Amino acid sequence: MHRALRLDKVGRRYNLRGPWVLRNVDLTINPGDLVRVEGTNGTGKSTLLRLLAGIDAPTEGRITGRPRTAYVPERFPSALPFTPVGYLTHLGAVHGLSRPAAARAAEDWLHRFGATPYARTPMSQLSKGSSQKVAVAQALLADPELLVLDEAWTGLDAAARAELERAVAERTAAGGAVVFVDHDPDRLAGVPDATYAVREGALDRRTEQVTAPTGPHVVVEVQGPPGGRLPDLPLAAAEETVPGAYRVTVPVSHSDVLLRTLLTARPSWHVVSVARADIPLDQEGRA
Amino acid sequence: MTALLRHQAALLLRSQRWLPPFILYAVFLGVGVQGGQPVLDSLGYAAAALLPVAAWLVRICVSAEPPAAQHCVAAAVGPGRAHLARLLVALGGAAVLGAVATVVLTWISDPVSSDHQTRVPVLPAGAAGLLAALACALLGTAVGALTAWPVLRTTGRAVPALLLAALLSLVVSGSPAQAAVSGLVAGSRSGTVDLPVLPLAGSALLAAVATVAACALTSRRSP
Repeated sequence: MHRALRLDKVGRRYNLRGPWVLRNVDLTINPGDLVRVEGTNGTGKSTLLRLLAGIDAPTEGRITGRPRTAYVPERFPSALPFTPVGYLTHLGAVHGLSRPAAARAAEDWLHRFGATPYARTPMSQLSKGSSQKVAVAQALLADPELLVLDEAWTGLDAAARAELERAVAERTAAGGAVVFVDHDPDRLAGVPDATYAVREGALDRRTEQVTAPTGPHVVVEVQGPPGGRLPDLPLAAAEETVPGAYRVTVPVSHSDVLLRTLLTARPSWHVVSVARADIPLDQEGRA
Repeated sequence: MTALLRHQAALLLRSQRWLPPFILYAVFLGVGVQGGQPVLDSLGYAAAALLPVAAWLVRICVSAEPPAAQHCVAAAVGPGRAHLARLLVALGGAAVLGAVATVVLTWISDPVSSDHQTRVPVLPAGAAGLLAALACALLGTAVGALTAWPVLRTTGRAVPALLLAALLSLVVSGSPAQAAVSGLVAGSRSGTVDLPVLPLAGSALLAAVATVAACALTSRRSP
């Protein structure tokens, strides 16, 4: 995603005389942004997400800068005459991968979401949660520049939910934008760059001061190369314990991204220890 | 676009929902056409019957994916392109069916005029039948595109509209399908073969207009 997706004075209604579902929405999604959209049922959250994903066109206003987009719906039907691997290979090719690359990516993502055992079972025989995994994998196959998740976590098991959070962290770390709606207020808590609320067809940016991140975190102790400077680590709170050694705290969803950044840095960093903490250490210190 | 066409074609083939229109078409030909009949009459009959089959195939292709799965594809390639692929796959299915029927009927029919007095050249007759079938497939695709989502969204309206439009396209003078079919029948009476090039061009134009209109509506209508 090289440029921003911009919504200018966007409005949407479904009938010529129908009520406006959204009106006067201005929104810019920059590369690497993680955006949360909130709102009670029926306020137009899904409509906003469909506009962002390019499934719907705005009735008025303009949307510019469309990147390569992928979308995950809330409930994915299993009434498709394919196996998960077959469907994902087709969709990977539709997303622009070559067929061998699509088949490989299909196997990889099914494996990451723990769906390998039924990768070759007809989709009509899959449970709701299992077909939701296929929907999520479909969107992640081709490393989209914009990922739109409409309650994508609904129906997934705990392991797959955590995996999807990690996948979102990877996408944003790689410069892709992610927009999501989820009913769970703790979903990626403290991580989004911006949170918007849809109220009565309008979009408000939630401006209340974001409190220190809560929820499960990972504490990583690292030792730098001589004279090394800590690489730019999104969302990480770093604290120098002794010269050259740091204690870095990140939300659990971002621990893999953090470790990958540190280990692939040139010169690479040495990871001394990795531990899980339910409250970030700096808060504990203050308490 | 290739990947998209392949995906939509796989959806159609694997869903097996193509079977009823194909079987109905075969039954229709089995009842109406017998070996040894004048070739142009048989080909005209087969082309006419192809029009509602093409419209039905469009209906099947448009609803082959549940809405949520359609949205995943629409986000990736745009809803208009996704819809174009559905219409092209339906048209391709109808064209293949029409081509097979034309070859078989040209093979088993008698190359004579309807009064069995004049010989009709076989290959030009087959070519004329093929063009007429293609004209009917194109107009049937146009009818299907204009009577399915996103133009008409309720089955209660869409199916009667499809049947009525298909019937009118076959009987109203000025319709390219009617012109193509009646051209074959008239040729059979006189023992001459006229290639229905003009009706084919008219059908192609109407199909293109209907396709553009339907694809443009995809992102503007609710699912």
